[in-house]
Amino acid sequence: MKVALKIWRYDSATGDRALKEYEIEAPEWATLLDCLDIVKDRHDGSLAYRKSCRMMICGSCGMRMDGAAVLACKTRMYDIAEAGHIPVVSAMGNLPIRKDLVVDMEPFWAKFMAMKPWLQPGYERPEDGREYPISQERMNVVHKESLCINCGCCVSECNAMESDPEFLGPQALAKGMRFVGDPRDAATIERLEAYNSEHGIWDCTRCFFCNERCPKGVDPRDAIAKLGAESVAQGIDRDMGAKHAKWFVKSAETTGWLRETELVPKTQGVVSAIKQTKFALGLALHGKVPPPFPPHVARNVNEARNLRKLVREQDRQGALGHVQGEHALAKLDHGHAGESLEEIYDRPGAAPRPWLPEEAPQK
Amino acid sequence: MIAKHDVLVVGAGCAGMRAAIEAFDAGADVAMISKIHPTRSHSGAAEGGINAALGNASEDDPEIHAFDTVKGSDYLGDQDGIQILCDEAPGDVYQLENWGAVFSRTEDGRIAQRPFGAAGAPRTAYAADITGHVLVQVLWEQVCKRDIPTYEEFFAWQLVLNEDRCQGVVCWDLLNGGLKTIGAKTVILATGGAGRLYTGTTNAYSCTGDGMAMALRAGLPLKDMEMMQFHPTTLAPTGVLITEGCRGEGAYLLNKDGERFLKRYAPNTMELASRDVISRAEQMEIDGGRGVDGNVLLDLRHLGAERIIERLPGSRELAMTFLGVDPIYDPIPVRPGAHYHMGGVATDVWGQTELTGLYAAGECACVSVHGANRLGGNALMETITYGKRSGRHAADWALSHTTVEVPESAERDAERELSALLDRTDGERPWSIRDELASTMHENFGVFRRERQMEEQGRIVAGLRERYQRALVEDKGEVFNSDLTGTIELGFLLDLAECMVVAGIERKESRGAHARPDDYPVRDDENFMKHTIVRLVDGAPQLSWEPVRMTKWQPQERKY
Amino acid sequence: MSATETPLKRVAYYKGCLASLSAKELDTSTQALAPQLGLELVELESVTCCGAGDIHEAEPDYYLHLNARILTYAEATGADMLLTVCNVCTLNLRQANYMLQGDSDLLARVNENLVTVGAPAYSGGVEVRHLLWEIAEGPGYEKLKQVAHRGLKGLKVAPFYGCQILRPSKILGFEDPDRPWSLERIIEACGGEAIDYPAKIKCCGFPIIQAREETAMGELIQPVEQALEAGADVMVTPCPLCHLSLDAWQSKLETSTGRTFQLPILHLAQLVGVAAGLEEAELKFKRHIVDPRPALERLEV
Repeated sequence: MKVALKIWRYDSATGDRALKEYEIEAPEWATLLDCLDIVKDRHDGSLAYRKSCRMMICGSCGMRMDGAAVLACKTRMYDIAEAGHIPVVSAMGNLPIRKDLVVDMEPFWAKFMAMKPWLQPGYERPEDGREYPISQERMNVVHKESLCINCGCCVSECNAMESDPEFLGPQALAKGMRFVGDPRDAATIERLEAYNSEHGIWDCTRCFFCNERCPKGVDPRDAIAKLGAESVAQGIDRDMGAKHAKWFVKSAETTGWLRETELVPKTQGVVSAIKQTKFALGLALHGKVPPPFPPHVARNVNEARNLRKLVREQDRQGALGHVQGEHALAKLDHGHAGESLEEIYDRPGAAPRPWLPEEAPQK
Repeated sequence: MIAKHDVLVVGAGCAGMRAAIEAFDAGADVAMISKIHPTRSHSGAAEGGINAALGNASEDDPEIHAFDTVKGSDYLGDQDGIQILCDEAPGDVYQLENWGAVFSRTEDGRIAQRPFGAAGAPRTAYAADITGHVLVQVLWEQVCKRDIPTYEEFFAWQLVLNEDRCQGVVCWDLLNGGLKTIGAKTVILATGGAGRLYTGTTNAYSCTGDGMAMALRAGLPLKDMEMMQFHPTTLAPTGVLITEGCRGEGAYLLNKDGERFLKRYAPNTMELASRDVISRAEQMEIDGGRGVDGNVLLDLRHLGAERIIERLPGSRELAMTFLGVDPIYDPIPVRPGAHYHMGGVATDVWGQTELTGLYAAGECACVSVHGANRLGGNALMETITYGKRSGRHAADWALSHTTVEVPESAERDAERELSALLDRTDGERPWSIRDELASTMHENFGVFRRERQMEEQGRIVAGLRERYQRALVEDKGEVFNSDLTGTIELGFLLDLAECMVVAGIERKESRGAHARPDDYPVRDDENFMKHTIVRLVDGAPQLSWEPVRMTKWQPQERKY
Repeated sequence: MSATETPLKRVAYYKGCLASLSAKELDTSTQALAPQLGLELVELESVTCCGAGDIHEAEPDYYLHLNARILTYAEATGADMLLTVCNVCTLNLRQANYMLQGDSDLLARVNENLVTVGAPAYSGGVEVRHLLWEIAEGPGYEKLKQVAHRGLKGLKVAPFYGCQILRPSKILGFEDPDRPWSLERIIEACGGEAIDYPAKIKCCGFPIIQAREETAMGELIQPVEQALEAGADVMVTPCPLCHLSLDAWQSKLETSTGRTFQLPILHLAQLVGVAAGLEEAELKFKRHIVDPRPALERLEV
């Protein structure tokens, strides 16, 4: 098939930047990575990009296609080529470009290192010299986080990081959760304190680009939420982000609805809130600052209050509260309808049923 | 020379990182060189698991593990090396777990283990079907913890030989450009395999046999180079791996009629026979017209959606992405693909080569623990146990020897070669040579080998080497010049292909991965229970033989 | 056949916090518009805040229960759809709904707790949909075309989707999160001209506008700046939180940059409401910080 590509070329030595179009002949099964290989081999040997495993596990070939971060090796080109679309390929965002599609990963790894990304076990070695026994259920808490291949697709698209480049970001924080959620790790409090720093979890703007782009189903935003839940459960809540979140809890169980006007002082503290007075007055003139009294109270709000009491006794605090829903949410990715084996074997066009040579073939 | 270290590890996959960690813990100043970031290493693509007789799923013993491995090797494995591997495996796996490896768990919270091919017990510890990824991550974490420096995106090109010792490595700095020489008292090669010799391979683009070729060019012997394992379940057309774990979980292999044909080849173990046996069986089915477009069918349907999703999510993802096949509903078309080099740089059981100060570990080394056929799950184990052992020995040696001297000529010679490559303005683009090498190796040196084809391949490789002398590097720049490194890699591959063909022609028997159905269809212990050794003499590969190190297992007929 | 002749579709209506409080104009315009679009809104009285992502973050188990409670009261109305008018409510409710529908053990546990506190048990029979989706296709869209008789002729409208109506797409799933079309389609059905700009699918900064104002403003400026550059007269958003950030914090952007933006921001229901001829009593533009009326006055034909 014919594939046309536009590639943003960049030379950090000269600063030259140019969008170049290439037209190639590629096999129908070709991925974006295969197409780049053809361009490099046969059209322009100076094209630079990273690659290695070409099977979605090494994390080398993160780049952007039409503005969205992808793994080049996971991106099949057939439909795009058939539609006559000419995609624009460029380097990942939020990282400095070195050449063409190659970014400098140094800032990325620096944030990874800031997580102290190694187990800090609460034991020397288990007494019997064997493994530390843990149930699969407990390990499931870090299952998604352990899928991360450090490709950078999440970081590329992080809206908060665009605005605050120092934000630790989705990749690093997912790695952090991988340890906070690990029952073998004994540094939970120290980690949560560190991840609650100025550029930590509460910098996340919940744009969900990381979840959307992650090619491995890590869902880094969910990992950040788990860290938030763990922080609040551990009483590490001095950050304005944590206070903001806690005010919603308070509102829900007292009036049912957000107590909007009190949100600013409850988040920022009274002193900071006073500094916002002029701004708040502007809003008040337009009815944007509803009076806190009498409060807007939901009917039967005692139910909401009692629910909180009840669930807090049920041991699903912190990250477990998130993890309990993952099994169901994962089904959204799976796309199967629970057919029986017989139904699967009988589907039109199905491959033949298995049989052993001594059995008569079942046709 | 930009730096020097006690121990310099070339390659940062499982073997390299494990070696570096051990050398560090032994007190050495250690650094790693890697042409890709450590977590990008191809060890991460290992899927099914790592073998150790933990006995978590049923009773097991290192002794049984060792026997399975000896038998699996078709009696070409060195039994002392195998015994060490199997004895140390459990402790080494526990250590990985203690470091934080995210293994799947049994009901009682132990490391879960699954059945694998040709194993007498469910011995393969696993993390779903991303075991390699999980191990790479935990080793990288431990490297980070120790703050072991990595020369990242440094392309190791030539070993520095001085006073009959290996004293460093000349590298090309891929990200910034320029030759950089790093001195070292000891160098450990851990560069992995050379699957890129073949069109259909499970191996990454990075698997170009760099360490083997560097050692060969430095005058060292390569052992059992004809022994290239073909994995039975890889995806057409490029060879992406579908784990043996699928069959470990109970998947069937079917021909086009739906017949579980392995009953006719390996009646006892069926789909869990050893890889060489299954790959041959598949090839016979395909050659006999019972395949589906050059494939057989890996059928997971009866495992059910839940088990597939829980235990084999990565395999499902690969099949869906690359073939559009959902294994819950349809069998996956698979065929044999080049997977693992049993051969490599000859070492002893401490990873030492015959050159003082030079070690090798992992796939680029040949202890040999795999002989003529490796068992699934033993490769990861070898990277850990022998990575550890070579790191320990190299550190001990380095700490008792003081000097590092890198003659200026080392970098100067490399500079000259580099100029020759980069100054060439006219010639053939390397891809055509690379693609021809890979397709002809597949055709003439694949699952089955025939004298005439191997000789033909010898001529083809010679012709390609000739053409390589005129290979044109188009990119003349400094920053991320992968055109240059790709061309150097092709040179490495051509050297190795030559060695493989020489060894393959001379092994006039069928053993493990080396199957000669037409002229020598059976194993010949009397004449060939010995290793091939190839080294360069005056620039040409020269073959010799070395006995197998046997301890207690006498060769028997191998049946599955 | 006119819009009023067909029977109205009865849906449970969850207006969320802001439409009850600082964004009352969203509620009044939605309520006024709904019958014209063929919807009978059954307002839920006993429900609470969805947690806005904050309770999800702080106390996820409580989040699940609060949302289950909203869903079960929606189900109790007999409707099979819960209509939302806020991105954040939509994501939170849909996510909780999938969790409960996809895991019978979890549903059983949550139901036990709901019943204990006196709420009905939830059977999983409600679908959560945003007003945007309801009128961007199907019968809702046909109605929209009929009611938008007054039109927005000549008005250049910048669609601003925000985040949580698009991503994560496996939970929202209505349209391609990178190439959404629903707002554009509605703008055009109302006779306006939809302008295009890259930041229309990005974050407005609202979730961190109090805890990290500077970071949030760095996000907020992008859609405002880009939309104006592309010639927008007004911007429309399906989310009252985006609205608050874009409308109210715009003045802070002006202070911090020393520039003038004055880009009016409309709620989706207001934009359609203008086209459908709703009056100020329902639209309540006076509640906006940046008054949209001057821009809209040019519409008179």
